[in-house]
Amino acid sequence: MQSAAAEAPRVPHGRLRAIAGLTGPAYFWLALTIFLPLSAMFYFSFLSDVPFGKRVAVLTLENYAAFFEKEFYRTLMLRSFRLGAEVTFYCFVFGFPCAYLLAKSIKGRWREALFLLVILPFWSNALVRIFSWTMVLRGNGVLERLVNWLVPDYGPLNLMFTYPAIVVGLVHSYLPYMILTCYISLEAIDDSLIEAARSLGARRLAVLRRLILPLALPGILAGAILIFVPVIGSFMEPRILGGREGTFIGTIIEDQFTAVFNWPLGAALSFLMLGFVLLILLVVMPLARRAT
Amino acid sequence: MIGRRNTLARAGRVYMAAVLLFLYVPIIVMVVMSFNASKLYRLPVDWSFTWYVALAGNDKLISAGLNSVWVAVVTTVIATVLGTAASLAFFRYDFRGKRLLQLLLFPPIAIPWLIIGTAMLVFFFWIGLGRGLHAMILGHVALALPYVIVVVTARLRSFDPHLEEAARSLGASPWQATRRVTLPWIAPGMVAAALFAFAVSFDQFVISYFLSSPGVSTLPVEIYTSIRKGFTPEINAASTIVILVSMALLLGVARFYRFGGER
Amino acid sequence: MLHHKFLRRTLASLALAVGLALGSAHSWADEILVLNWQGYGTDEAWALELFTAKTGIDVVHDYFNSEQEMLTKLRTNPGAYDVVLINSAYTLQAADEGLIQAIDTSGLKNVADLSPGMRDNANLAPGETTYGVAWVWGVTSFAVDTNDFPEMPVSIEELWDPKHAGRVGWRDDAIEAVMFAAIATGQDINNPADFDVIRDKLRGLKPQIRTFWSSEDEWNQFMSANEFDLATYWSGSASRSKMAFGLPVEFVIPKEGAIGWLDGLSVATDAPNADGAKAFIDWMIDPEFYVRWDTEVGAPASANAKANAQLPEAAFNRAVLGDPEKVATLQFMGPMDEELRQKILELWQETKTYLLE
Repeated sequence: MQSAAAEAPRVPHGRLRAIAGLTGPAYFWLALTIFLPLSAMFYFSFLSDVPFGKRVAVLTLENYAAFFEKEFYRTLMLRSFRLGAEVTFYCFVFGFPCAYLLAKSIKGRWREALFLLVILPFWSNALVRIFSWTMVLRGNGVLERLVNWLVPDYGPLNLMFTYPAIVVGLVHSYLPYMILTCYISLEAIDDSLIEAARSLGARRLAVLRRLILPLALPGILAGAILIFVPVIGSFMEPRILGGREGTFIGTIIEDQFTAVFNWPLGAALSFLMLGFVLLILLVVMPLARRAT
Repeated sequence: MIGRRNTLARAGRVYMAAVLLFLYVPIIVMVVMSFNASKLYRLPVDWSFTWYVALAGNDKLISAGLNSVWVAVVTTVIATVLGTAASLAFFRYDFRGKRLLQLLLFPPIAIPWLIIGTAMLVFFFWIGLGRGLHAMILGHVALALPYVIVVVTARLRSFDPHLEEAARSLGASPWQATRRVTLPWIAPGMVAAALFAFAVSFDQFVISYFLSSPGVSTLPVEIYTSIRKGFTPEINAASTIVILVSMALLLGVARFYRFGGER
Repeated sequence: MLHHKFLRRTLASLALAVGLALGSAHSWADEILVLNWQGYGTDEAWALELFTAKTGIDVVHDYFNSEQEMLTKLRTNPGAYDVVLINSAYTLQAADEGLIQAIDTSGLKNVADLSPGMRDNANLAPGETTYGVAWVWGVTSFAVDTNDFPEMPVSIEELWDPKHAGRVGWRDDAIEAVMFAAIATGQDINNPADFDVIRDKLRGLKPQIRTFWSSEDEWNQFMSANEFDLATYWSGSASRSKMAFGLPVEFVIPKEGAIGWLDGLSVATDAPNADGAKAFIDWMIDPEFYVRWDTEVGAPASANAKANAQLPEAAFNRAVLGDPEKVATLQFMGPMDEELRQKILELWQETKTYLLE
């Protein structure tokens, strides 16, 4: 499996046209839809108002200044990052064992069937899943009835409009990502390595800590990024599950674009968020590279 | 020793069952509620088909659903073609700037969709492209491209470039070599990538939310609007249908391609 | 690069797909697009049936959850909407931004029956030009779950009463929240003088609020699931919740007063079907529509005096809102300075952050 594509053949510059032709369309598309819009928004973040119609816009730093002057923006930014970290953590804690079982313990037709079952929820609409959680979590909802059925006279159980409700909803939405990426990494680990370690007398925990986790790290990190990044910008799940607890930097930014019409402020907050994400990636990536 | 292994095995099975239960509880609730005639979701369930009947007459939802499918199909075609082409380039050639280009694939994944969506809204509005299905297709393809390239590249890793060389030396033109040697080999990868692209587009909410215009939206956006402004229980019926159809599709495809890994 | 035949076929099918998609966006029937709150009269199925039967025009709807959202939808979708519902406090701002057009009311037969005070209200029809046709008016206050209140409350302080800690429903709207605080602290809702007092009053809600509601449908669901003892609400919506959804709720106008508002129907600039829009507005202020709407579904008070007079005597809109003493306690929403509005929006964002546990 390794030998065939070890080295892509080197070719002279005459092939430049072929390269441009093959990669051109994709990157032109990305330029039009990602890079140019981000640049435009970056420019907007320095304007005082939206430059459409009768509105007059001047260059200003006040949007960025607002973040540093008003404490509640910082509180909310921190809150969103904390949410991202928590959701990622729980997805790892619950998803990694699941991936390990699928990759190593379960074989044959069971494995394929279970794998399908795990990624199937991807295909149900994310919004209805979140809304269904409201029916499960609320007072006199499914969860309360279930608990009272199992433990008679438990009493009312209403988890709606709490921070945990948001976490539950988000973990539920993003768990398959972590299971998938960890599975891909774990599946590639040669079983004979594990057997060799065991036969040399290593205990299960040591094998896990020193052999499996490091080898699976690329998958874990990939899953972490796929989960952390969307979660910090989420507004839909907090609004639906969080009620008064559902205020995050994501909801504030969304507000600026759909209601308040203060696009420059929304743009500035977005780029501040982006800056923090890049900072985190810059710190984590080298550490990860050293570990693998 | 054996007893311990059995206990572990059993614990493993229980754990898997618990995880699956967690993943499916809302889906089961959704399916059950789609048959609950109570407008305010009162329990116990009042079994009925009323919402499915109502769904048949709900033009807004149906057109939103059709829009979703349209956008997803177009996105899949474009993203798969563009992504495969780029993957072939990375596979075949080494050139200055290759690293940079590969790095540039990260932004759609590393940037929160909220930011990408609002940036697209701002930019398209500014240059007069406006909002609507065409804008959504532009956005969805951009999101799907990295996934397509990653999947096809993974498949290309197992392809022997000398096969192409051999075909060329036998007189085939570059395109013929690609079409008759390379593409058939990576076809399973392209199908997997296409599935990924379809899933990414069909379930995409954030980008579609900012780029939809009145009367022209996709199913996820319509559902969110419904939840925020006045939930019509037909949504549960629509979603039940969607998940049943996707399940059938996924199971059908799984018969032909091994999802559990190549060996 | 790609083989010509493959490229051609792909482009052809793409063009077909895009063409079909765009083509399906156009309706061939005569049609108007209405922008309003959901479930607020203009989308009553029976009313639309009658209208389409009379005029042959199909009515399609888009919705918003706040006045801010309504304005932004108008700003970011030029030439899309025909009829827009605009709270009179915002009509002049919308006109000023060029979002709505002047309406020639000479062809609308029901306009003559509108109460002059409302028809010629300076916020809707400054000078000789009409930007909004007065439609309905009502009150923003709070409604209680009658199961939790043996006696009806009389003061707005009930919302801050520790008896109801964690059982109060509140609307997530900056302007409305600040106005409630203004009434509770005896200030002018359109120009509160003391913001610090307002800030403290709003922060006093921390132990009270169970959750925010953002649509009538949500309000009904929460009340039905017994999440609230009492919640801020609108008068017309309260009668809808009672009549159409059978919820045990009662609307309260406290002694300190409440927020009054007047809604007008406007025609958007570059409306695709301006004539259809005007015909629809005429139908909305018609007593035939209004009386049925209030008696069968529940509605705010009509700006059409003739229509209001046709209501049964006991109806809320006639009995309570027809009582001049009660009406005198109301403070009506008026236009607000953009700077003040931004200040209020920011105060509310800050308050919401404070309210987080």
